[in-house]
Amino acid sequence: MNVVELKNLRKSFALKRGGLFNRTTTEVTAVAGIDLIVQPGESVAFIGPNGAGKSTTIKILTGIMRPTSGSAQVLGLVPWRDRTKLATRIGAVFGQRSQLWYHLPALDSFELLSRIYNLDKNKYKARRDMLIERFALQPFLNTPVRKLSLGQRMRAEIASSLLHSPEVLFLDEPTIGLDVVARQELRDLMREWNRDEGLTVFLTSHDAGDIEHVARRVVVINNGQVMLDDTVSTVKRRYLGQKIIGARFHEQPGTFDMEGVTELKRSEYAVKLIVDTEKTDIDRVAAAILHAGSVADITIEDPPLEDVIARMYGDQRNGDQRNGTEKASQTGADAK
Amino acid sequence: MKKLINWLQLAAAYVKLNFRSHLEYRGAFISQVVAMAVNDSCWIVFWTLFFTRFPVLHGWTQKDVLTMWAISASGFGLAVTVAGNTFQLARVVGRGELDSWLLYPRAVLPHLALGRMVPSGLGDAIFGYVLFFAFVRPDWQHMLLFLVFSLSSALLFIGFFAIAGSLSFFIGNAEVLAEQWIFSLITFSTYPSPLFDGVVKILLFTIIPAGFVSYLPIDALQGLSLKYASLSVLGSAAFLAIGVSVFYLGLRRYESGNLIGMRG
Amino acid sequence: MNELRKYTWIAWTSARSSWAYFGDAIGRVIFFSIILYIFLRLWTTTFTQTGATHLGGLSITQMLWYLTITEAIMLSGPKVSTLIDEDVRTGTIAVQLLRPMSYAYYRLAMTLGERTIRFLVNLVTGCAIAFLLVGQLPMVGFGMLTLCATLPLAFILDFLGLFLVGLSAFWLEDTSGLLLLYSRGVLIAGGTLIPLDLYPSAVRPILSWLPFANITAGPAHVFVSPLPQDLAMILCRQITGTLVLGAIAFVIYKQALRRVFVNGG
Repeated sequence: MNVVELKNLRKSFALKRGGLFNRTTTEVTAVAGIDLIVQPGESVAFIGPNGAGKSTTIKILTGIMRPTSGSAQVLGLVPWRDRTKLATRIGAVFGQRSQLWYHLPALDSFELLSRIYNLDKNKYKARRDMLIERFALQPFLNTPVRKLSLGQRMRAEIASSLLHSPEVLFLDEPTIGLDVVARQELRDLMREWNRDEGLTVFLTSHDAGDIEHVARRVVVINNGQVMLDDTVSTVKRRYLGQKIIGARFHEQPGTFDMEGVTELKRSEYAVKLIVDTEKTDIDRVAAAILHAGSVADITIEDPPLEDVIARMYGDQRNGDQRNGTEKASQTGADAK
Repeated sequence: MKKLINWLQLAAAYVKLNFRSHLEYRGAFISQVVAMAVNDSCWIVFWTLFFTRFPVLHGWTQKDVLTMWAISASGFGLAVTVAGNTFQLARVVGRGELDSWLLYPRAVLPHLALGRMVPSGLGDAIFGYVLFFAFVRPDWQHMLLFLVFSLSSALLFIGFFAIAGSLSFFIGNAEVLAEQWIFSLITFSTYPSPLFDGVVKILLFTIIPAGFVSYLPIDALQGLSLKYASLSVLGSAAFLAIGVSVFYLGLRRYESGNLIGMRG
Repeated sequence: MNELRKYTWIAWTSARSSWAYFGDAIGRVIFFSIILYIFLRLWTTTFTQTGATHLGGLSITQMLWYLTITEAIMLSGPKVSTLIDEDVRTGTIAVQLLRPMSYAYYRLAMTLGERTIRFLVNLVTGCAIAFLLVGQLPMVGFGMLTLCATLPLAFILDFLGLFLVGLSAFWLEDTSGLLLLYSRGVLIAGGTLIPLDLYPSAVRPILSWLPFANITAGPAHVFVSPLPQDLAMILCRQITGTLVLGAIAFVIYKQALRRVFVNGG
């Protein structure tokens, strides 16, 4: 049985604007025909710009919202109809929502969750202790949540969402605001649970690193439709294999003539380069920069996701135009 | 039956956690509880002053007014201590906190209700029970009836809060309206309803059902009347049922996502 | 014509943008109407039941006007203490304290402005409700004058009380309890709901000198029975109260300032 099965999922809202006298109702389409199948044990990253329809889709998948048309099934259940039943089999970690009580230690929240989910006492204790160990929560288990660092809190948050042994975990921007170390820790945990425990992971993120390190499949959403649905390795090769390096010098730097390195911008003392990591290693470029002059500041970042998606979109359009693929005509038909 | 026990256990767990959560700010918590108990007591001072000068009001004595206060205070206190989130339902819905509750494998309204405790409610509850047992000094029949009414008015309040809070499913910015509506119920439950007649009386059993808290119970206690007692309890049950229905109606609307100002 | 349209649009837009405030104001009017209605009913019933023509020296119309005024004053107060509490907790007060005395005056000025408007709104509403239930009051003319004479100090007195409550935020975790106690003080000790003349004779003299009674009961009393000697008495008490509370406020304020600099704001 598929974990997630979406067929031509559509959702539009009637947005009412205006004052008391001249009300206008515009129809806003958030989801414009999404087909998606996720199988057990998959790890899917669901990405797209803001307003692309990600949150709406997740709300439909978790049963919070009803679609306008189309069908959705999660673990064989219709989410909004069998919401209570589904809730025992899925876990959710959303940014705005915390399952943990702010003023109390995480342990107390775990206790409450075991009651909410009606977990068998002994099974709960065993699972709880296992999670505490795997997520390294022991050091701060009895500290009020408000005193924890964001990284610790997120670890506890995700652990709490696994207490009732869900089959699939929905995560919304789980690593946002975390420092590099905490982020990596969290990614390792998510990947571990997916690979070793067979937990199906469905996460939304703006972070390319999340996609690279946790997911094995990427679904790109834009304008309420699936733009790209492929493995992470493919997408990585074509779109994510880039880094942007910015450097500021104390004097004017020389030129950078290396394979895979293109200059984006240059000013009197600064330069911005884009590096194709398939062709050149980052550390070679960094070394070159440090040799090019006395460096005042150096930053290495991922290109913004919006740019990456724009490129994907451009490529897809070009590809479809060239090949006249079935997908394009199907998408076109659906859009009507 | 098993389900009920399960829910009671869950409620107990929530009350415990809410209580401990509030105790993190011990000073504030205690001052809110005490202040509310003192606030309620001030009204007893008022009525004592009043009844010292004017012993009877439409057949109501000081004891009757004290009893009325005990019922409404204890009922209200019970309602917002255990099910405090219904008191602030409009805010919960308006601020998008509802989604959280939808993700749990529990019936939404009762579960959501348990999520918050209004600390001053504890002051009301303590005041109500102390007032009744210390000052009214009932015999066991009156005491039993009182406990029943205390519970039934708590249920009435909860149902009513659910109705008022559910306004936010249908009207934007319903917080102020809900607040005023709830306030008027609380206020009218603390004044002898024989003061009012005609249209207002009808109001007190419909739109602002204080009559089920202040009128019928006192009538029932005055004459140990089972008829008035059952009417009172039935009324409370009715409002609870209406509250639940209105909430789930609003929830359906919420799920379709067509609320004014809803962000996709 | 275009000018008119422009200004109408500006007025309409500004009205729309203050809808939240407007909604708040409506809420307050409803609040006030309910309370007033209940108490008018209470006293009307009492008069009818006891068959008396005068209670506490007041006739029924005088009694109802008394209540209207006390309620109008009591429910006109903006939440000064809550604002001060916020200022203390968020540290905004440190910014305001650059010139010591001006924070208090700043708050006072804002309070008086807002309060006057709210009082007038309450008064109009109250007049409507009381009028519907009873009727005209003799000697309204003089009553208005004496009322106006006693209102400013009444507002200032209440402000001083709320100021002290708000300042307690420096020492207390939560001031809402203290605020509740203070407002109950005004309600009960202040003769807001029952004229002081109906209180037991033992407590009457004490209560009449406390600031509470001179915030609501005092002005209401000289409105319904505007005798010069009563007016003088009330003003005298108000001035005394203002001086005493003012002195206390000054001392507490200085203490509070010290706290700001010790804690770094």
